[in-house]
Amino acid sequence: MGISLWFLIGYNGRTKRTDPVISTIQGSAGSEATLIEKTDTATIIIPLKRIGKLYLIEAKIDGEEGNLVFDTGASGLVLNETYFRHYVSMGEHSSGGITGGVENTQRITVDNITVGPLKFRKIPGNMVNLGHIENRRGIKVLGLFGFELIRQYEIQIDYAHNQMRLFPIDKKGDLLNRSTGFKADYTQKIEETKNIVFIKARIGDKQLRFCLDTGAETNVLSTDLPRSVLQTVTITRTSRLRGAGTAYTEVIYGRMNELAFGDTTFTGMETVITYLDHLNDSYGKLIDGMVGFDFISKGTFCINFVKNQMGIAYLKLNDQ
Amino acid sequence: MKKAGFIFIIFLLAVTFRLNAQIDPGSIARVEDGKVIYQLDLTWSDSQKRQVVELFDLDSTVWQKVGSGASTIILDSAEWYVHKLDRNKIELSKPLERKPAVHLNKFDIMLGNENWKTPPGYVDQEKVIYGFNSFSKNNVYRYNKGIVQLFLPGNTRAKKVFIAGSFNEWDPQRTAMQRVDSGWIIKIQLKPGKYFYKYILDGRWTTDPNNRFEENDGMGNMNSVLYLPNFQFKLNNYKNAKKVVVAGSFNNWNRNELRMRRTSEGWTLPLYLRDGTYSYKFLVDDQWITDPDNETTRKDMLGNQNSVIAKGDLHVFKLKGFEQAHRVMVAGSFNKWKSDEFPMKRVPDGWELPFRFSPGNYEYKFIVDGRWMTDPANPFTIGEGDVTNSVLAYKANYTFKLTGHANARTVIVTGSFLDWNPQGYKMIKKDGVWTFPVYLKKGKHLYKLIVDGRWILDPGNKLWEQNEYGTGNSVLWVE
Repeated sequence: MGISLWFLIGYNGRTKRTDPVISTIQGSAGSEATLIEKTDTATIIIPLKRIGKLYLIEAKIDGEEGNLVFDTGASGLVLNETYFRHYVSMGEHSSGGITGGVENTQRITVDNITVGPLKFRKIPGNMVNLGHIENRRGIKVLGLFGFELIRQYEIQIDYAHNQMRLFPIDKKGDLLNRSTGFKADYTQKIEETKNIVFIKARIGDKQLRFCLDTGAETNVLSTDLPRSVLQTVTITRTSRLRGAGTAYTEVIYGRMNELAFGDTTFTGMETVITYLDHLNDSYGKLIDGMVGFDFISKGTFCINFVKNQMGIAYLKLNDQ
Repeated sequence: MKKAGFIFIIFLLAVTFRLNAQIDPGSIARVEDGKVIYQLDLTWSDSQKRQVVELFDLDSTVWQKVGSGASTIILDSAEWYVHKLDRNKIELSKPLERKPAVHLNKFDIMLGNENWKTPPGYVDQEKVIYGFNSFSKNNVYRYNKGIVQLFLPGNTRAKKVFIAGSFNEWDPQRTAMQRVDSGWIIKIQLKPGKYFYKYILDGRWTTDPNNRFEENDGMGNMNSVLYLPNFQFKLNNYKNAKKVVVAGSFNNWNRNELRMRRTSEGWTLPLYLRDGTYSYKFLVDDQWITDPDNETTRKDMLGNQNSVIAKGDLHVFKLKGFEQAHRVMVAGSFNKWKSDEFPMKRVPDGWELPFRFSPGNYEYKFIVDGRWMTDPANPFTIGEGDVTNSVLAYKANYTFKLTGHANARTVIVTGSFLDWNPQGYKMIKKDGVWTFPVYLKKGKHLYKLIVDGRWILDPGNKLWEQNEYGTGNSVLWVE
């Protein structure tokens, strides 16, 4: 392919130049996707920009520069059709929306994408209309970025430092680095479907399955949950969100008073109670809710797809 | 003469609730046994009742209906149960929705309803007309040379204190406060305007206990409100007065709001005031007076003299001719179309009025001896027939253009900046190209062109997005 690119890879202010090596990942559309990556044991840092409760990642996609929403509720790369309509469609793909809703998505292949220090070629993705995020949040959104392109690393999402760190791992999921400096306060086996991570947490005496979703600005609970669960929520607002025409869906906003994750119980996290069945379809799994930004903000999360494991190191006051 | 239409509300006042009028949402609503239940109190004030309707998105007829004594009522075509707890307390309930008519995606749920175009906790500065601060202690707030200093007294046992707000993306770890002997202090460089903030003491969020102004962010959270001033009303002398208030067109002449503070020279009130031209007066112990230090005054239709302030860059309204006219006025969206407020001055070749604005698109008309007319020197208009207004795009930063439709009879541009008014701005053809200059605020705008009645995407703009009607809207970002 004749690619000889140099990258700057930084960690804690230090920069290091390394020779790139090309490896391949198999694109789900059957095309051969190429990740141009580094192979030594240095850490890859992807800065996370925060706008309200959304994490944005700077990216360059075939010459178009802008932000991707870091959205682990999306399987992989989802592009906003406003800016990428010119891509040749590989045929309509009309399953339950990749962004968690029923909408038209189109399969596409991106020639070049740069995400922080990572560069990829020939990446399959989906294309949908993401105008509603732009219109309500006032930010230009080139697309969504899920775990798909980084699942071959051990991934640390560090709220306190507004960054994601990627550590190379071997086939067994073991770190090539001796140490990442990460010490989990609690670890849990995760479930995974289509690069989307599901975790278990308790409310009251019920164990519930949540999607770990960095694109969720608040946590979400299903209206179908037992009364003992929903009664723990303090309601702060209700709203009827309208679709086309006069139809609407009720959404209840409140605060979760008890969400236990391992031995730790979180209180006062914002949550939404709404009907979730259609989201279950798009995640490919029945879920009881989503844990989003407020949950991510509790510390550093470490995810290893090979070991199917997630660890959390809680944010201590003196980390701040 | 019918008054011109299309009055777009630019004087949207930010509503600042005082703390004591706030309701506690947590004590009103609950989810229980598959039902959502609201406990309502018929003795609440009108303002509290309005807050409940808004916060819980209830049908505005709810108060009338729950008072009727019926055990079931219909609100927004859904059946609700009314259960009387005692004379004034009522429980209103409805089963939780099981099969909603609309399948929302995750982002729709998060993004909330249409009214929340500015995310919770953030400020659309272009909608802020005026604002002032009210702190319960003198030493907790200072603003000088663009630097605000906030002081949180006490809490000396806290290990770390941060401030987060609309100015730092609400990042709870970006802006650490400094410990001093008697509390915590922070200096931040900020432009005049409106801001929301909170303190975070060892991870615990709290509003500023010494700031009397708080606002609900629409999600049930209270934030402290800070207005960094760019203007000061001053009244010298009147040292024996007990109370001095300033009121004007910017606050709808509210005489109970802007109380001035006593100084060694007289009275003062620093505040944030958006650029524009405003009438005002002081109310000294219930007696209205004009500002003795301001020579610019103007009579209203009733013959009352008002002081006038003008902030911002100068624009001169001009009307040539009409030498025989007795009285020429200008009125527009900038003064809520009040026909009696701004008389023009006679000049050798007609009439003129120097005016100050903030950047924006303003509709206006001249009124020549009672007859409303568009500006003959300005080709840019909105509307049809009698309801045509002149449009001034003050500090225009973008020009809509359409080529290749030289034979069209009318081309109109409308979009999110005009609330999709189908009358829209009438584009002007010059050398075969249709144009219309506008001022557009920073951010994203959606628009369409209407060529001889047919709605089309802008062929000169490759960016568009699908809309709810299954067609598209052109997309424009203003940096």
